[in-house]
Amino acid sequence: MSDRHRPFAPDTGRDFADDAAREQRHGVLIELLGAYVDRELPAETVSQIDAHLLGCARCRGEVAVHEAVRARLAVEPPRAPSPALRERIAGALDALPAPVAAPEVERATVAPAPRRRPALLAWGVAGLALVLALLAGATRWEAWRASAAAVPELAVPARSVPLLDAVLGDYRRATAGDLPGRARDLAAVREAVPFPVEPMRSPSLRLLAAWTTDLRGEPAAVLAYRYGDRLVVQYVVSEGAFFRDPAVRGAVASHHLLVASDGAQAVVAWPAPASALLLVGDVPARELAAVRAGED
Amino acid sequence: MSPTSPDAAAAAAAAATRARFDALVLPHLDRLLAFARRRTESLADAEDAVQEACVRAWIGFGELRDDVKVRPWLYRILRTALADAREKNGRRSQLVSITRLEQAHDELLGGDENAVFAEVVARLSSEVVHLALAEIPEDFAVAVELHDIDGFKYVEIAEIVGVPIGTVMSRIARGRKLLAGAVRANQGAWAAAGWAARSGTTTTTNPSRRVRPGGRS
Repeated sequence: MSDRHRPFAPDTGRDFADDAAREQRHGVLIELLGAYVDRELPAETVSQIDAHLLGCARCRGEVAVHEAVRARLAVEPPRAPSPALRERIAGALDALPAPVAAPEVERATVAPAPRRRPALLAWGVAGLALVLALLAGATRWEAWRASAAAVPELAVPARSVPLLDAVLGDYRRATAGDLPGRARDLAAVREAVPFPVEPMRSPSLRLLAAWTTDLRGEPAAVLAYRYGDRLVVQYVVSEGAFFRDPAVRGAVASHHLLVASDGAQAVVAWPAPASALLLVGDVPARELAAVRAGED
Repeated sequence: MSPTSPDAAAAAAAAATRARFDALVLPHLDRLLAFARRRTESLADAEDAVQEACVRAWIGFGELRDDVKVRPWLYRILRTALADAREKNGRRSQLVSITRLEQAHDELLGGDENAVFAEVVARLSSEVVHLALAEIPEDFAVAVELHDIDGFKYVEIAEIVGVPIGTVMSRIARGRKLLAGAVRANQGAWAAAGWAARSGTTTTTNPSRRVRPGGRS
């Protein structure tokens, strides 16, 4: 039998108790060989293992296995993310509000050679700036909500306007079952329509899905968002399709925003630089208008 | 809007936060994606998990107290996102026959092939490496991958996984043994199935966990 099969080769005259002690030590050390290879053990333990390895072929074999596996995995290549994934992530982040800048404050406290008073001062200044920014944001938000809520609803029934009729019908069909697309389809949607498609950036919206549809024979991009516990859907259409109807033109010319309701659903619509957008949801019209206002 | 107005200051602060996030997080997308891909059934699922992890990281960016710790922080978030997706999709980890792999490992150490094992392992293709990792229990695979592939120290892995450092040590040691056992036990079958060694012929088949019953989901 070679010493490969037993931790220690037979040694004429070796004391049985000594062998048993070494066997016991072997049982302990063999469990540490991974950490030994990884240099995660204290120097004293490393020395003990070094000494043990001299007389233990099985543990030398075990070390060789650890080293071989570790060396192979170390050259396992990463997987480069596609440009589409990068764009999807950027789009998803764009649709979210900026997080509270606590890390900046935290980093100020661990800057080199901080003195207690300046550190406290930095906390105070940063905190004050944050409060001012939040107050300014809140003030602007309230102004937006007020102006959006002041926009009167469309004078004619929504379903009498062909574009709104098509959008409301499509919305009801799409939301009656599983959503047709996923958020990661945004890049494909952008490629499929001849106008720019940008997700909304309202803090209250989170992009869930994107797909394309057909509205009265013209392509449209559809983006579905989570809005609290509800769903709202954004339609992006061409400028031509949007301004074709006189009711739409009139509302936008007067208020820069069209607001309409049809039963439980509401629509708000507005022109964009090279397209037009309609936001639909089972949400009161004024609330939907406020969501659009928070998107600027 | 005046450049010095509170609105401008808030916008500049938001832009700076986003730039810092991008600089800290985006360089790690390739490793995160590879980690996610090894525990999802498709690249699309892996991409969804990475995107979800980035969204969660952005929402919780204020929790990152030390830029140096961004990598373990991201992996911790990604593991949670992967676990949530797995639960949502109704997938469960399958039991793995550890005994069979331990026996293969013992046979490896007891036979003459141990001398050439390092060479065999070094020539394994990525597909075979992924298959072997899928053969061992998830907890062991995660610990081994985080150390050997992603380069984390034991203390960082303990932080990512949420277990004591002694558990990390044990999982890595046992995981490598089982991985070696998996290679030895399945080498012939994988070769027969067309999984090439790195220096051998190439294969175009994707080693998806879906087509391999008995593997970890």
